[in-house]
Amino acid sequence: MKRIIAMMLALMMVFALCACGNNTSNDDKQKADDSVKTLTVGVDPEYPPYAYMGDDGKYTGFDVEVAQAVCDLLGWKMEIFALNWDQKLTQLDAKECDCIWAGMTILDSMKEAGYVISEPYYDNTQVLLVKTDSGYKTSADLAGKAVAVQLGTSGEALLNGDLSSLKDSFSNVVTCNSFLSCFTELGGGSVDAVFVDYPVAAAYVAENDGYSIIDEGLGAEQYGIAFRSGDQELCDQIQAAIDQLVENGTYQKIADKYPDIVNNLIFLNK
Amino acid sequence: MDLITMLKTMLDGMGGTCAIFFLTLLFALPLGMVVALLRMSKVKVISSITRAIISVLRGTPLMLQLIAVTYGPYYLFELPVAKNKLVPVVIAFAINYAAYFAEIYRSGIESIPVGQYEAADILGYSKIQTFFRIILPQVLKRIMPSVTNEVVTLVKDTSLAFTVSYVEMFTIGKQIANSQSSFVPFVVAGVFYFVFNAIVDYVMGKAEKAMNYYQ
Repeated sequence: MKRIIAMMLALMMVFALCACGNNTSNDDKQKADDSVKTLTVGVDPEYPPYAYMGDDGKYTGFDVEVAQAVCDLLGWKMEIFALNWDQKLTQLDAKECDCIWAGMTILDSMKEAGYVISEPYYDNTQVLLVKTDSGYKTSADLAGKAVAVQLGTSGEALLNGDLSSLKDSFSNVVTCNSFLSCFTELGGGSVDAVFVDYPVAAAYVAENDGYSIIDEGLGAEQYGIAFRSGDQELCDQIQAAIDQLVENGTYQKIADKYPDIVNNLIFLNK
Repeated sequence: MDLITMLKTMLDGMGGTCAIFFLTLLFALPLGMVVALLRMSKVKVISSITRAIISVLRGTPLMLQLIAVTYGPYYLFELPVAKNKLVPVVIAFAINYAAYFAEIYRSGIESIPVGQYEAADILGYSKIQTFFRIILPQVLKRIMPSVTNEVVTLVKDTSLAFTVSYVEMFTIGKQIANSQSSFVPFVVAGVFYFVFNAIVDYVMGKAEKAMNYYQ
């Protein structure tokens, strides 16, 4: 009996080592193909519907699909780089990716720091996600209640800046490290609302019963693609490609797959 | 996403987890011994410098050290960031764990009575012979439980590697969890860490038993 267990454990070890082997061979393949220009797109793959892990275990989402279409059009190879969102600008500076393209809010501070930003492509607002049976209808109803927000998001920045009076009306703001933990706090009753980007809330409401959205157009902002300072040319190339995709209808086709965000896409509403 | 795809996707990341684990042990275990010997050096300068380094490594979060090792060279000297993230990740882990292992080794070495060194000296053993033939075998036996402790912690610490975008099993689990609004990946991750540590525990237990030849 003991021997069988030992054998099984040994097999598992071997299996684990094989997995290591597989990984490195993947890296080699990517390195070998240097002749084609590669665009490394930095995304936050925990941010549906812009970028997330699809049912087949591959990265997908609106931004990922548009980026892929742009690369196809320009004859480039696309590579996805999973950003650590808290450190996205460091990782862009360090040339780990060529751009940040993942539902990223355009902040004045980024422009001041010299980053090249594309034309805005999405109008976003911050909303409050609440349980439907709680009966909250406006942000005023939430005075004195606890609210969750994700660390490093524009929602968090707004609460600490322009919307600080709203923050002061809450009894407590809980900062979580992912949307899922924010939503779990809400589901579990430890907070009464989640302050979150509209499309994320819409996607969650579509999948889960018993939640509703309070949309008061708070913190209107726009999404864009960020490049390193000096990469104006790359930005222009990609912008031109996107314009072409809008014209030939590919952009619309991709957008139709994401009903939660299609209404706020700037290029389609011009 | 069905469970099979989820398991398959997470299994891809387990390679990354295992790579950190084995490579860190490979470098940290011997490096720890070197650091321990430097720490116990009779030359005051060497021992106090080593002591200071150990206290920095143990006194700052591993997450911070990962960032420093990966992005420090870029910010300080404009050097490119390593394409293969495994390199800076393993360097940071190995240095950090070597500091802990060094103190474990030191506790073992200093627990050996002075009388043994004196007896070895009388029997004509050189200093090096004394260390490798008499002291070290006893030290290894005594430190096994503490080393197992650190190794088990290492398994769980591998999840910190995503701080610098090194993708391992837990990162993929988190991505699936947030993409699919599901807690199942966390359960899978928990089971994986537990099974991994059960194996570590078993192997270390066997080693401890094998070294128990005097009882």
